[in-house]
Amino acid sequence: MPMLELTLCTLGCAALCYTLGRYNRAATIARWHFVLNLPARRALAALRGQMELDAALARQALDAADRALQTGRTKEAIDVLRAALGVLEEASADRLTRLRGMRVYSRMVRAIQPLPAPTGAVYRTRKLRVLGSLAGFGYRLLVGGAERFRLWLTMLGFGVKIVLHGARNSTAAAAQAPRARRPWRQFEDGLSDFATLDASHLTAFEALSASLAAIDSSRRVRVWDSIVNP
Amino acid sequence: MTLALLLGHATKVALLALLAGMVMRGKLRQCWSFVVYVVAILVSNVLQSVWPHQFITPSFWLVKQRTYDVLKMAIALELAWRVFAAFPGAWQKARVVLAAVLGLSTVAIFAVRPTASYSNFFDWQPKITTGAIWLLTATALVVVRYEIPIRDWQRAIMLGFAPYLLVFVTLMGLLKRHGWSFVSQFGTLDALAYLSLLLFWTYSGWRREHRLELPSGTGRGTAEELAPAPVEQPVEVVDAHA
Repeated sequence: MPMLELTLCTLGCAALCYTLGRYNRAATIARWHFVLNLPARRALAALRGQMELDAALARQALDAADRALQTGRTKEAIDVLRAALGVLEEASADRLTRLRGMRVYSRMVRAIQPLPAPTGAVYRTRKLRVLGSLAGFGYRLLVGGAERFRLWLTMLGFGVKIVLHGARNSTAAAAQAPRARRPWRQFEDGLSDFATLDASHLTAFEALSASLAAIDSSRRVRVWDSIVNP
Repeated sequence: MTLALLLGHATKVALLALLAGMVMRGKLRQCWSFVVYVVAILVSNVLQSVWPHQFITPSFWLVKQRTYDVLKMAIALELAWRVFAAFPGAWQKARVVLAAVLGLSTVAIFAVRPTASYSNFFDWQPKITTGAIWLLTATALVVVRYEIPIRDWQRAIMLGFAPYLLVFVTLMGLLKRHGWSFVSQFGTLDALAYLSLLLFWTYSGWRREHRLELPSGTGRGTAEELAPAPVEQPVEVVDAHA
């Protein structure tokens, strides 16, 4: 039995069937449609507005929880803190989805507007400071603009997960010992870091939008024609 | 009527239906090598059915198998070229991958070429088939990696070929293990697998593909109505080489 050939054929066949079986032409076309028609300014303004709203909601909930705690309404304080966590969870899911999308779109353009090197100094929590420093180090090792951009996206994704994990832990700790100040401070630090991550998220989105918008309209028609009717 | 003859006639009907589907649905130009391949299979099938004594011979088998092998490679390369033509960056990456697969396959094939004959085809044929599968797989992987749009028909060609070629290699492995006493079962099982493949292709070939409208931001109407000027140079603005 030619085992080597059979193994290679099985692997090749499985890889092909898996990739092309899951391939969704409509979704791919829709992504290219987005790339070629991105209303950059409107999308950017909408994203900025959404981020401001998320930040305001979470901050307001945290402040309300803090006020409730100061006035002795412990149970209400924890409930409102959980509401703040809910806001953060929803916002995190939204950010992670967008980061995945940006990773896909970043493969569709030739050049991406460069971003500054990441740094850990802008964050309050220790884990994020370490993550930022590591990303900054990795950024200097990489040469390609696209690779650097994707490193940014990876760092932002990890950052969001770290903040969310920390916020969940803080909420659980606050529920157990509402009078202890540490969980509340950690939650506040996490919220602040989330806002910092959002600012970087917006910068990355802006850079990608600018890169996508660099495709001039006459060539968009040709590219689109090649895509839909090759 | 023997089972082999019945399968042979069923294959002819399926091939004709497939060709008719490709003509009726305008899919011929999506991969010309595939059309040549289907015609080559049909001609070979007809020759073997009408003049079995002249054409069911080891020498003809070798000629037709080599023709099919060349055409399979041509299909894989043409599909890759058609899929990546508008995306120079992705095409650049795909060329490297395809050249590596093609190079490795060529080395493997030439290594066994001096002793290649009908009596030991199960030694060298799997190497060629493996190369063809991996050419298709490489194209599929680059397509998915770079989010390249491909037509349903091109996808169907690739999706159909790979499982059949795997069955073919497996059957050859069994033939090698059990010897020539297995050759009639080999023929029947291979014909059945190939007929299944043809039915899948025929179904896909007859399926309508919706033409997509140009989005409002890129122009007006359909791509045909717009009739863009010929591209003097490859579009380099959008590609996947990021």
